[in-house]
Amino acid sequence: MAKQVLVTGLGIVSGIGISVQETLTSLLAEKSGIGAIKYLRTNHKDFPCSEVPLSDGQMSKMLSVPDNMPITRTSLMGILAARNSISDAKIIPDKSLRIGFISGTTVGGMEKSEQFYRDFLENDTCNDYIKIHDCGACTEVIADYFGGFSYVSTISTACSSSANAIVLGSNLIRLGLMDCVVAGGTECLTKFHLNGFKTLMILDKGNCRPFDAARAGLNLGEGAAYLVLESDESANARNADVLCKVSGYGNACDAYHQTASSPDGKGATLAMQNALVMSGLKPSDINYINAHGTGTINNDESEGTAIMNVFGNCIPPVSSTKAYTGHTTSASGSVEAVISILAMNEGFLPPNLNFKNPIEKLSFAPVRELIRNVKIDHVLSNSFGFGGNNTSIVFSKIQ
Amino acid sequence: MKVYIQGIGNISIQNTFRQTGFPEPVWYNESYVRCIDPDFTNYISPNEARRMSKVIKRAIASAKTCIAESSVEMPDAVISGTGLGCIEDTEKFLSAMIDNDEKFLQPTFFIQSTHNTISSQIAINLKCNNHNNTFVQGGISFECALFEAFILFADNKIKSALVGGYDEMTPSYFRILNRIGLWKKKFEGSGNLSNSTTPGTFAGEGSVSVMLSSAKNEKTYAAIEAVEILYQPENIVESIETFLSRNSKKTEDIDLVVMGMNGDVKNDAIYKTISADMFGAKAHAWYKNLSGEYFTSTGFGLWFAANCIKHKYVPSYAALNSHNAGKLQNVLLLNHYQNKNFSLILFSAC
Repeated sequence: MAKQVLVTGLGIVSGIGISVQETLTSLLAEKSGIGAIKYLRTNHKDFPCSEVPLSDGQMSKMLSVPDNMPITRTSLMGILAARNSISDAKIIPDKSLRIGFISGTTVGGMEKSEQFYRDFLENDTCNDYIKIHDCGACTEVIADYFGGFSYVSTISTACSSSANAIVLGSNLIRLGLMDCVVAGGTECLTKFHLNGFKTLMILDKGNCRPFDAARAGLNLGEGAAYLVLESDESANARNADVLCKVSGYGNACDAYHQTASSPDGKGATLAMQNALVMSGLKPSDINYINAHGTGTINNDESEGTAIMNVFGNCIPPVSSTKAYTGHTTSASGSVEAVISILAMNEGFLPPNLNFKNPIEKLSFAPVRELIRNVKIDHVLSNSFGFGGNNTSIVFSKIQ
Repeated sequence: MKVYIQGIGNISIQNTFRQTGFPEPVWYNESYVRCIDPDFTNYISPNEARRMSKVIKRAIASAKTCIAESSVEMPDAVISGTGLGCIEDTEKFLSAMIDNDEKFLQPTFFIQSTHNTISSQIAINLKCNNHNNTFVQGGISFECALFEAFILFADNKIKSALVGGYDEMTPSYFRILNRIGLWKKKFEGSGNLSNSTTPGTFAGEGSVSVMLSSAKNEKTYAAIEAVEILYQPENIVESIETFLSRNSKKTEDIDLVVMGMNGDVKNDAIYKTISADMFGAKAHAWYKNLSGEYFTSTGFGLWFAANCIKHKYVPSYAALNSHNAGKLQNVLLLNHYQNKNFSLILFSAC
C-alpha cells in the first residue's frame, strides 16, 4: 500500500525574496522582482529579468562557502534554498535517515562555462570549472554542502525539471524507498539562456503579461526552491509540522515539437488529467490553478486550451505568477509549487500581474487582483518544458 | 519484482548495432574514437536528419531498433540518461555566442542543445505521449533512468519502458576532459587496458536503448531484478551485501560480476576491494575496454551482461579472471563514478 507524501519544509530564493517569508510578503504586496539586469554580464541589458537580489560573493558569505571553492551561482542559490527548506523542516540530513536529494537543472554550470569556455579549450587556468560544468556536478555541490544524503539524482526536462524532481521524490516516498527527500531545482540566469530565448523571439522587452491578449513573450528569471517531502511515519516519529500533502501528479509528453506546444494542448491536458486521477479528485475539487503561463503567444493559448479541456465549464481561479518571479526555467516547477502551497495555506489567490484583456479563444480570464480569505483545499501547479515535457502536481491541505 | 529485457539497440565503437550476440572486438590504438554509425536513412528521413546532431540520430536509430526487436509497440514511458546531453549543438551555440559577442545567433542549435532534446525527439518520432523524463547524473545517468523505470514498474504505473543512455564525445569536449585527467597521457591501446597501472582511461561514446517489459517473450535477453543507486556509501561492501539480501540472494548465488573498471588506477581500486572482500571465487568481467569511457557507458554494460546471460558465455577478451561463470543464472553489474556515485544492477536468466 502506497504511503502518503507529506510536505514538511519549504525553501525558496527568487527575484521576489530569499526566504519563504519574503516571498509571501512580496506576493501579498503585489511586488514584482522583474527589472533591469544587474548581475548578469551581457550585452542584452534591454531585456528585463528577475534576478535573485544577491551577488555571488554575498551568497558565499551568507553560506560560509570558502572563497577559493569553485562554485556556480546555480549551486549557491540551490544551497540557500535547500538550507531554508531543511531548517524549515527541522531535519538533519544524516545516514540514519534514508534521505535523498533530487534537483532539476537545465544548463548546469553554464554560467561559469560561458565565461571560461575559451580557457577550457586553450589552457589549464580554469580546469576546476570544467569539473562543475555538468548538471550532476551542480547537484552534488549542493548535496555535499549538507552531507548525509544517501541518494542523489538530477533531472533535466527544461522548464519542468524541478516539477519532475518533486514527482520522483514523491514516488520514492510512496513506495517506501526513502523516508525523506529534499526535491526541487535551481537555475541562475546565463547569457546562454538569455541569448537562446532571444533567438526564439519569445522575450518581451516590457514586463511579461501572461494570458493577456497582447502578450509578447516572457521575462527570464532565476531562482531555486526545494520541498522537504516526507513519509507520514517519519514525520509522525519526529513530530514534524506538516504543511500539506502531495496528492497526485501526472507526467505526459506533448510529442509535438521541440519548442512549441501543440494547439490542442494534448500533453498539458494529459498531465493535468493524470494528476487528477491519481489524487482521486474531480476537476471541481481544485480551488486554484497556478499556471505555467509564461507570457508567450504559444504557451498561454495552448495551456489555456488544455485547462478548458480538463475543467470544461467549471474552471477554477487561474493565475500565472511569472510576472512576479520571471520565468525561472528549471526552477519554475518548485518555485511555483512553493507559491501554490503558500496560497493554499495562507488562503489567498495571487494575481496574474499585468493582465488587461483576455485571449479571445479562451473561455476564462486569470485572477486580476489579490483575493484574500479564500478557502483552498487543493491546488494544481503546472510546469511545461521545451520538448513537451509536461508535468502537473496537486497539493492538498491535510484534513 | 522482475522486468524483462525484450530488445536492445546499441550503437557503439564496436559493431554492436543489430548484431546477435557478441561481434568480433575492434581494438583501438588512438584514444579518441567515434561510434561505428549505421546508415541513418533507414531510420530518419534525410530532411529530418539534416538538422539533427549525431547523438539524436543515434538515439532514434537505437530506440527504433530496440522497439522492433521487442513485442512492445508503444512504450508506457521514455526515460533517458545523458551526462552531457546534446553537447555538439551546445558547443556550437556557445562558440557562436562567444565569437560573435552575443550577435547573429540562430535558434536551431539552442533548440537542440537541451539535455531533454533526446528523450523528446524519441517521443516526437514515436508520437508517444506517455511519461517522459531525462536524468543527468554524471557517470550514473543511465542507471538513474533505469531506476526511475523500476519505480514506475513497481508502482504498476507502466508495463513497458524505453530506457536509454546517450552521449556523444566531440573533439573539443574530449580535449576539455583531457585537461582534468580523464584520459591516459600515454595510451597503449584498448586491448592492453587491463594491465594498466596509470591514471586515466580511453574515451568512447554510445547510444544504447533498452526495451523493458513486465512480460517476457521468446526473445527476452534476461530479467532485471533490482536496481540501486547509492551516494557516498560509507561501506560499499556492506551496501552490496544488504542489496543482495534484500533481493533474497547470497554472494554465492552470483555467477558473474560485471564491473565498470576502465583501466584508470584511481577508478579501479574500489572494484578490486569489492572483488577481494566479496567475490574472490567468482567469475569477473568488464566492458569498458570495448565501449570506452563516457557518462552513460553503463548502457553498454547492460547490453554486455544481457548478452552473456542470453548466449550463456563470457567472451574471453572481457573476462577478468579464469573462474567459471557456471550457469550464468545471476549476474551483478557494478559501476561507480568518481568513487561517489555507485550503481548496482541485478540480472537473472529467465
